[in-house]
Amino acid sequence: MPASGSLALGSKARAPSRLEVVRPTPPGVSDHGAALSERALAERFNQVVLPHLGDALALARWLTGNAADAEDVVQDACIKAHAGISGYAGGNARAWLLTIVRNTSYTWMSRNRPRGMMAVGDLGDLDDMAAAHGTSLPDEDGPEASLIAKADTAALEAAIAALQQPFRETLVLRDINGLAYREIAAMLDVPIGTVMSRLARARGLLASELGRTS
Amino acid sequence: MTHDDGLPNDPEGIRLMIHALVDGELDAAAALAVERRIAADPRLAAEHARIVALQGAVSRLPHPDVSDAFRARIAAIGMAGTEQPASAEATEPQRGSPSALPGLIAGAGAGQRRAAGTRPSQTRTSPGARRFGSFDWRAMAASIMISAVLASGATQWVMQSGVDDGFAAAVASGHRRSLLAASPIDIVSSDRHTVKPWLDARIGVSPPAPDLAQDGYALIGGRVEVISGRPVPALVYRHREHLITLVAEPQQGGKVTQPDDLSSGGFFMVHWSDGGFSYWAISDMERPELDDFVARFRKAAV
Repeated sequence: MPASGSLALGSKARAPSRLEVVRPTPPGVSDHGAALSERALAERFNQVVLPHLGDALALARWLTGNAADAEDVVQDACIKAHAGISGYAGGNARAWLLTIVRNTSYTWMSRNRPRGMMAVGDLGDLDDMAAAHGTSLPDEDGPEASLIAKADTAALEAAIAALQQPFRETLVLRDINGLAYREIAAMLDVPIGTVMSRLARARGLLASELGRTS
Repeated sequence: MTHDDGLPNDPEGIRLMIHALVDGELDAAAALAVERRIAADPRLAAEHARIVALQGAVSRLPHPDVSDAFRARIAAIGMAGTEQPASAEATEPQRGSPSALPGLIAGAGAGQRRAAGTRPSQTRTSPGARRFGSFDWRAMAASIMISAVLASGATQWVMQSGVDDGFAAAVASGHRRSLLAASPIDIVSSDRHTVKPWLDARIGVSPPAPDLAQDGYALIGGRVEVISGRPVPALVYRHREHLITLVAEPQQGGKVTQPDDLSSGGFFMVHWSDGGFSYWAISDMERPELDDFVARFRKAAV
């Protein structure tokens, strides 16, 4: 994540231009909301979105790379969630909100830091690579579990940040946001086996990284 | 070495199954088979320990704080839908914004991170509000709602209401049904660090889940019960051949009540509250044993 501090400043300077993209939505929202009860929708927003703000911020923080951008992204995502709240059909509210946060994160990054984005075409190659090499590490025996358990926060955060994006987002959705495999598969639109191999690969990379630095 | 336990035999496949075990994604049969493989192979056991350690370390990472100002800003987005766009336009001519929502974002985007919860009062004083007679009332309701949400905390939104016979009856029928179902549990794990996040992820709330295996009451998993139209967490413990369902309804009132006998219909049921949750323990084991379980759970859960 190159020079995220300066990128964050750049994003603030450009903030007004982002508004023009958002601006057309709200009148439509209100019209749509009026069909149901507006107050019922507002209440649903409170129940569906507000309890999961911590998770939303955590996901956005790991996808964008820093906490200040995460607040901007989550705010954008909540506006979208508000616009689409009448389409929330029950089920896991956290997964529903996080799907929006994830999509918003990538839209936001493609606007604010085009070079940081990974081309979608790379994902298939990565999974092929993961499958070809297996999730196993070169040295079959990873570090001792006790070494991993003792790893300090900064080392672990750096190791997660260094993961390639598909592995990082899968790990974060599972181990930080606590989503189930099926929910992650649905969110990323990949088979459940891909979720499993990405997760195993991500954990394998983290374990070997922590074993090396400890 | 090959096995006929239905698990993959390649190292890669079994490794994925260990991850799935740690993540609570396996049903009871598969979990048992994987646990046997782990027990038989020290390298798989080491891999399992690594995954558990890593997952523990990642889950202990500090979560970003949700500041009150940020929460209020997001809550205000929810309120924006209750305003008519026309009224918002009329009330904020000085901003030149076409509606309340972009106005709000413009404020935030320009770095004025003010608490948006102050919006209703600003709007009330503006001349345009008179055109919409119900607006004052709505703004009032909105700010009350924000305060209520902020005060009650994130994890307690699924709850309210007190004890009634209907609830106890629903707990009992849920327990009976679970004994007839293919599996009495939705998340199979003896590890409370798996059960709690699983419940938390599904319904945003999870009760204390002490493992009482040393006392003879092994935590074997959990499930979600739907009672009175609300999802509530249920833990499942095993004592010899008996299953104990422990339904924990989040509680707002915070009152503490002593165990109360609600047994009926061949099952024994005990109900108590600890201020955070209202508990119903039901089982077909004898009352003294159930009381013993309740006593040990209460001791371990504090």
